[in-house]
Amino acid sequence: MTVSSPLALCAAQELTLAVRSRATQTFAAVFAALAIGVAASGYILSGGSGVQDFARTATSLVQLVLLIVPLMALVLGTTALSPDRGASELLFSQPVARRTLLWGRLLGLFAALIAAQALGFGASGLVIFSQSGGEGVTAFLLLMTGAATLTAIFLSVAALVAGAGEGRRRSRAMATAIFVWFAAAVLYDVVALGAASMLRSGAASRLLIVAVLANPVDAVRTGLLLAVQGTTAFGAASLALLRFAGGPGRAVFLILAGAALWTIVPALLAARRLDRADI
Amino acid sequence: MIAYARFTKRFGERTAVEDLTLRVEPGEAVALLGPNGSGKTTTLKAAAGLVQPTSGTVLVGMPGRPACDYQARASLSFLPQRVAFPESLTGREVVEFYRRLRGVDPSHADAALRLAALNGSSGRPVGTYSGGMVQRLGLAVALLPSSPLLLLDEPTAALDPDGLCAFYGVMERRKAVGQTIFFTSHHLGDAERLADRFAILVEGRLAALLTTRELADRLSAKGVLRLRLASAPDDLLERVRLLSSRATWSGDELIVPGSAAGRAPVIDLVRECGATILGLTAEEGRLDTFYRELTGGLR
Repeated sequence: MTVSSPLALCAAQELTLAVRSRATQTFAAVFAALAIGVAASGYILSGGSGVQDFARTATSLVQLVLLIVPLMALVLGTTALSPDRGASELLFSQPVARRTLLWGRLLGLFAALIAAQALGFGASGLVIFSQSGGEGVTAFLLLMTGAATLTAIFLSVAALVAGAGEGRRRSRAMATAIFVWFAAAVLYDVVALGAASMLRSGAASRLLIVAVLANPVDAVRTGLLLAVQGTTAFGAASLALLRFAGGPGRAVFLILAGAALWTIVPALLAARRLDRADI
Repeated sequence: MIAYARFTKRFGERTAVEDLTLRVEPGEAVALLGPNGSGKTTTLKAAAGLVQPTSGTVLVGMPGRPACDYQARASLSFLPQRVAFPESLTGREVVEFYRRLRGVDPSHADAALRLAALNGSSGRPVGTYSGGMVQRLGLAVALLPSSPLLLLDEPTAALDPDGLCAFYGVMERRKAVGQTIFFTSHHLGDAERLADRFAILVEGRLAALLTTRELADRLSAKGVLRLRLASAPDDLLERVRLLSSRATWSGDELIVPGSAAGRAPVIDLVRECGATILGLTAEEGRLDTFYRELTGGLR
């Protein structure tokens, strides 16, 4: 296929680079191995008679997605988008708008990461559905959609991280990216729950609602758990959001709106910064 | 055409270029010279739309449009000083990417690779290339479109003799068809061979704007004649000083500063005085000395 628009060209080039990158290949392999491990453990725990039950296995996959996918998007996105002086100078001196080049590169990275995740989902899906029949196919597809949403959000954040910082040094950008992942995927919940435990019930509830919506990892977790298992696996924060929204439909709407904002706003800020940057 | 009008660029506290007003006319080849850190690269990058002016304007093309307007860059091609490419792409993939991005005819890709003497290694990943090959690949990319304006930042820095020969050939052809070339160099030879005019930046300011002849004269005036002599009469130095007041002895070497035009009379005089010339060297003025003189003039 011959592509000719600058956006498509950049996307195709970034996809090629990401597919050839050792880091992408490693992430794909690690994600696939862990996903297969989670799926197989569901089978083993059932005593070899079938997957223990789809919901429990899928909930473990949700935890895996919430940990690995943001890390994958942040690390690979920051690596790819951090300015490399000689390459950036040549690329950005072409008669193409800087933000077109950025959108193209983000699209290519998104496609590469979705392809890398598809390997893991495909392999784990084979293990799960060979045992459980067709049960939970929709929830599994929603899980893949959640992973794609997290990929888009954290690639957008990676674009912002990669272009930020004095001197825009790669190592500094990478350290920031890893800190963002640690804060969003690990630290945030501990801090939010710790703060909520020191407040009265009403204030704690409001804090937890804001906490779920403000952190895309928590928001996607709530949405995915709702898709996989209903409200039975909800923690305090997700339940607070559900009560605030008045039902699953409105909670999902709030989560989707939050995810859209988290995808669009950092990418727009990154584009704005890139437009004004000296390269 | 490139037109800098009171162009100033500051990076934080540091002023890279200050109040530069300069026009490079269509079809002209202008060399931007200056010591390290004098603002040459910033000046060139401003014309390539990579650096936004702190104040003033930089227009490119005909009619002139702000260099930061991406559409204005359709009229130019830029070669960075230290070009780099993704290491996992092959040379051909790199050239193809930029060819498509510029909407250039496919036949140009092979021509550019041949010109850069990379047609034999275009199927190899860039990661296996030497520094010179990467620079030649950059040159191939920069020369892909037939842009009316070429911006080249130290284009010959990493070229071997074959690469240099190919580069000069292309530049002379591009000049012959009326393309504008604006380039930086530390090599006087490159500049003299290609440029019609010389803009000299010192400490971010335009210190001189000279024609080829004017630069040659200025450098020649800073030349030195060295004569190793035997049987020189005692009054030789006094007599030579009548021709060149700064002449001096250094061991058995008579050192006579001055332009090339003043050297023949000195040699004639030495012979008339009965001295034997054992050795003779003549040096033209060096750019670094010239820069120092210009720096002094600016202060």
